[in-house]
Amino acid sequence: MYSCEQASKLSSRAMEQPLTLSEHLLHRMHLMLCKRCTNFARQIEFLRRASSNVPEVFEKDEG
Amino acid sequence: MAEQDDQAQSLETHRKYLQRYALFHLRDASLAEDAVQDTFIAALAQFQRFQGRSQMRTWLTGILKHKIIDLTRNRGRGLPADAFALGEDEDRGDGSFNARGKWVDPPADWGMPDAALESSQFWRVYQECCQRMSKRDALVFSMREVMGLSSEEICKKIEISTTNLHVILFRARLSLRNCMTKNWFGVHHE
Repeated sequence: MYSCEQASKLSSRAMEQPLTLSEHLLHRMHLMLCKRCTNFARQIEFLRRASSNVPEVFEKDEG
Repeated sequence: MAEQDDQAQSLETHRKYLQRYALFHLRDASLAEDAVQDTFIAALAQFQRFQGRSQMRTWLTGILKHKIIDLTRNRGRGLPADAFALGEDEDRGDGSFNARGKWVDPPADWGMPDAALESSQFWRVYQECCQRMSKRDALVFSMREVMGLSSEEICKKIEISTTNLHVILFRARLSLRNCMTKNWFGVHHE
């Protein structure tokens, strides 16, 4: 079983490259059992979505 | 004459936008000005290649991204030449986990965070949180998430390994998440 630290590192790495099959399965299993790491994974995905909106925010600043 | 005034005004709007964009990534007003100036010079030089292929703003922003990266790579300007090399002890972690890899302050649910994207206060907090990261971490993070460059492009452009990139991005995401929890999602809003 992965620790939360390892699982959250995998959540971050999965946003950059596909995990190996065994990494993927262990990661999924950890998330299924761990609400904390599920929250973390959702939050960094939200932050990615938010960050892609930053240029639009610079547009809105225009007065 | 009126048309010329319009053009001058839209150029000024573009300049302000580019300045904000550059400042976010470079965190230094005069460096940001350099990047914007370099962008306009390059844009003038290749103006025939523009002609309606895309929107002016998108085209200028595309050039600006390269200028920002060029500036940060230049020795003695902005960041030290070896700014992107990772030291040996850098993978220590930031105290988010204990020695056994458990969360010290476990992430709680953010609920439905997307509504926050409409709030200008949210964006102020977001920008402040980005500033709390080291210059390098913030720049790598914003190259990936704001500029939307691929992992491969970033590794090639700033000459770091994929492993280093993953370490930096993980640390940046952890830091931004912690800061946004403390200053936005963990506090009450009207």
